[in-house]
Amino acid sequence: MSLEEPTPDSDAELDVVGETEDGLDYDALADLLGDKVRTREEHLNAEGFVIRPDDVQDVLFALRDEAGFDHLSSVTAQEYDDRYESIYHLKKFDDPTQQLSVVVPTSKDNPVSESAEPVYRTADWHEREAYDLVGIEYEGHPDMRRILLPETWQGHPLALDYDQTEPQIVTLAEHRNPLQEDHRAGDDSDTMFINIGPHHPATHGVLHVETVLDGEQIADIEPDIGYLHRCEEQMCQQGTYRHQIMPYPDRWDYVSAGMLNEWSYARAAETLADIEVPEYAQVIRTMAAELSRMAAHFLAMGTFALDVYGDFTAIFQYTFRDREIVQNILEDLSGQRLMFNYFRLGGVAWDLPEPREEFFEKTRDFLNDMPGKLDELHDLVTSNEIFQLRCVDTGVLPPEEAKSYGATGPVARGSGIDYDLRRDDPYGYYDELDWDVVTEDGCDNFARVLVRLREVEQSARIVEQCVDLLEDWPEDDREIQANVPRTLKPDHDTEVYEAVEAAKGELGIYIRSDGTDKPARFKIRSPCFSNLQTLPVMSEGEYIPDMIASLGSLDIVLGEVDR
Amino acid sequence: MSFVDIIGDLLGFGQLSAGEELIAAFIGAAIIGTLMLTNTALAGPWAKRKITAAFTDRIAVNRVGPAGLLIIVADAVRLLSKELIVPEEVDRPAWDFAPIVMAGSAILGFAVIPMGSGIQLADPETGLAFVFAVGSIASLGLVMAGYASNNKFSFLGGLRAVAQNLAYEIPLVLTGASVVLFTGTLQMSSIVQSQQAALLSLGPITIPAWYAFVNPFAFVLFMAANLAEVGRNPFDIPEAPTEIVAGYQTEYSSVYFVLLYLGEFVHIFLGGAIVTTLFLGGPAGPVLPGFVWFMIKIWAIFLFTQWARSAVPRVRIDQLIEIGWKGMLVLSFANLVLTAVIVGVTGI
Repeated sequence: MSLEEPTPDSDAELDVVGETEDGLDYDALADLLGDKVRTREEHLNAEGFVIRPDDVQDVLFALRDEAGFDHLSSVTAQEYDDRYESIYHLKKFDDPTQQLSVVVPTSKDNPVSESAEPVYRTADWHEREAYDLVGIEYEGHPDMRRILLPETWQGHPLALDYDQTEPQIVTLAEHRNPLQEDHRAGDDSDTMFINIGPHHPATHGVLHVETVLDGEQIADIEPDIGYLHRCEEQMCQQGTYRHQIMPYPDRWDYVSAGMLNEWSYARAAETLADIEVPEYAQVIRTMAAELSRMAAHFLAMGTFALDVYGDFTAIFQYTFRDREIVQNILEDLSGQRLMFNYFRLGGVAWDLPEPREEFFEKTRDFLNDMPGKLDELHDLVTSNEIFQLRCVDTGVLPPEEAKSYGATGPVARGSGIDYDLRRDDPYGYYDELDWDVVTEDGCDNFARVLVRLREVEQSARIVEQCVDLLEDWPEDDREIQANVPRTLKPDHDTEVYEAVEAAKGELGIYIRSDGTDKPARFKIRSPCFSNLQTLPVMSEGEYIPDMIASLGSLDIVLGEVDR
Repeated sequence: MSFVDIIGDLLGFGQLSAGEELIAAFIGAAIIGTLMLTNTALAGPWAKRKITAAFTDRIAVNRVGPAGLLIIVADAVRLLSKELIVPEEVDRPAWDFAPIVMAGSAILGFAVIPMGSGIQLADPETGLAFVFAVGSIASLGLVMAGYASNNKFSFLGGLRAVAQNLAYEIPLVLTGASVVLFTGTLQMSSIVQSQQAALLSLGPITIPAWYAFVNPFAFVLFMAANLAEVGRNPFDIPEAPTEIVAGYQTEYSSVYFVLLYLGEFVHIFLGGAIVTTLFLGGPAGPVLPGFVWFMIKIWAIFLFTQWARSAVPRVRIDQLIEIGWKGMLVLSFANLVLTAVIVGVTGI
């Protein structure tokens, strides 16, 4: 599959409103929107344009088509004492440092706002979540239903007047075939509704896929999520910034990507409280995060092979053997194998384990064995003809669709989208190191697998450079933590949205402070949540085995989808 | 002297009357059945685990008994003591018969297999046709299980099983027929007999005229079709654990599950026995007694299926049909015609 011809950038760039060499010119953007912008407010990551609820589509269309904001990263909904508010966090795939928040307040007694779904397909699920948890309704949304909670749930849990002590009744109704009356291929053709999951060997957790089959081919498919919803946002809102929130991120993407998740909260909170992290700690963080990424990608590779091969075969065991070594290294570093809780605001919990030489040697041994092990995997998997027969040109996700659905991480990079926050919106020590962003143009299951395998190589490069740096770091300059006050109380009404490149893609955190030591609103933008939305695009018209393979290649973790 | 006569002799019957022959035949059948079930008991709970573990860098069962061998006993007790759950609205008695049909048909095939050392229960002139015929009855069991379970995953598995067996049965039988062109008979003992001659002599090593050496192309084709016949990777489509849960097995538990599982393993061994008889000279081999050689050969083929299972991905159902009808069928016809021409011209 070839990508669409790149548009001649030199001409196009001149037309993009608000883009200057020093970054965004918010005044030009405001001029573009004219009097639709009622007021402007400052968020720490970007400016927020406040607009009326019935201008949402006009404003977003203008921003997307004329100002180049092609990435709706997240939608945050929240309730104030006097109003509801939806915030659309906009970014550009070309340059995610150019951000803009579109703030849409709605009144208390009539919380209805125009839907952004016609502009960005990804708003579909994000707005459903906002409706489900906060209670804002979106006009013009194609499918305004609850998404995380059961349909019979009463009230909206993140609304201010929600009564948590009220018991809920959840009925168990049979799922209906949405195509029951649809005999598209003549009267004698029929479709079959089948529930794949929540208890099924290949749904990677408790995902329920409502599938309608026409023979073995998929006529209609809808992922039904929420079985693992654990109120993570609410729990984070009840913890104090300094220590009580950090353990939660480990539990979102719980398959060894913990370090990467912790960084998302660390980054948001550090921006919020204006904390400078010492360089030494940044190097340790970078190393730990990349080790985590390797472990997560090994697991993704192994489970994908499990889905395609159909058994716990050699590939699964080989990837787990290698993942085990990473886990041992991370255990040495943090004391934990999965739920690390190693990051602290302003640094990390403790320095490298003593004796340092032993730790470095262990890590180096692992890195030295890496090329051989990857060759082995390439021999076994990617060069296997049956594997290629199964994966090439199946589960195709065209780049335009991927962008519209807000797909990020290896899923987007497998569709040829050159987007990686580590390089494009640098944090930590990444911009000082020498590594490459991996992309593949295949747009299919095979491309996504290749991206992960090649990213492991790049992570190994990063870890190696970090180890070199740490080994030579002068002993009297090993500062692992900045000075952070015991109780953090960011200023009243400060808002921030920051994202990092987690194992599955862009993991963003929105925090609004209300002057206390706990966040007033804590919103998690989970990459798996957005990536999973692309499943219908990839699998409609395909065979069941290809749908299973596509699901595997998305590499979702339900803990992060449902939060 | 046939196997049944030997048993009659041991029982002191002398010249067999009809009744005595029946008794001797039943005892012979019991011996062969027990033999194959013992093999399966060894293969299912123990050897399969050990083999898969070796392929995947693990250790597997090693706690109960020497090398974990007593796991066979432990597993037997465990499996038999499970509760048999009969789902509502399953189509009985088809649902109950399916496991019996599957296990029974596979064992039945061994009646005509020459296992060496004189062990062969019956040796009809239509032996090869018989063994293919009973082997295919298993497909009936698959459909019964899939259709009667009242489960959509089972149903899909049953349909897949039919499609797969149609696509592979024909190449399998046609390739088998190309061997018959050489031998000129369907009788199993004659097929083994005609492979005794020497094909080549390289100094002290004599390569026998096994049909795997005479016609390696047919051998490869038959092995591939055999993988599909017994439903192992890359053709384990009717079960396809990650796609349709467990296919036709989904609703079976306890003893019925054991029967299905056992049927599958006996089927693998039957496939191995057919390959051994047609292509590997049956029980022939130096030094060791024929029966031992026969066992070594069918276990080697079992090992091959397990190897495929551990290392090869599964193809998709439409790809399988395509390989079957567009590839294997054409190749097997080509093989048949070519063999016929060669046999006709050279007059082997």
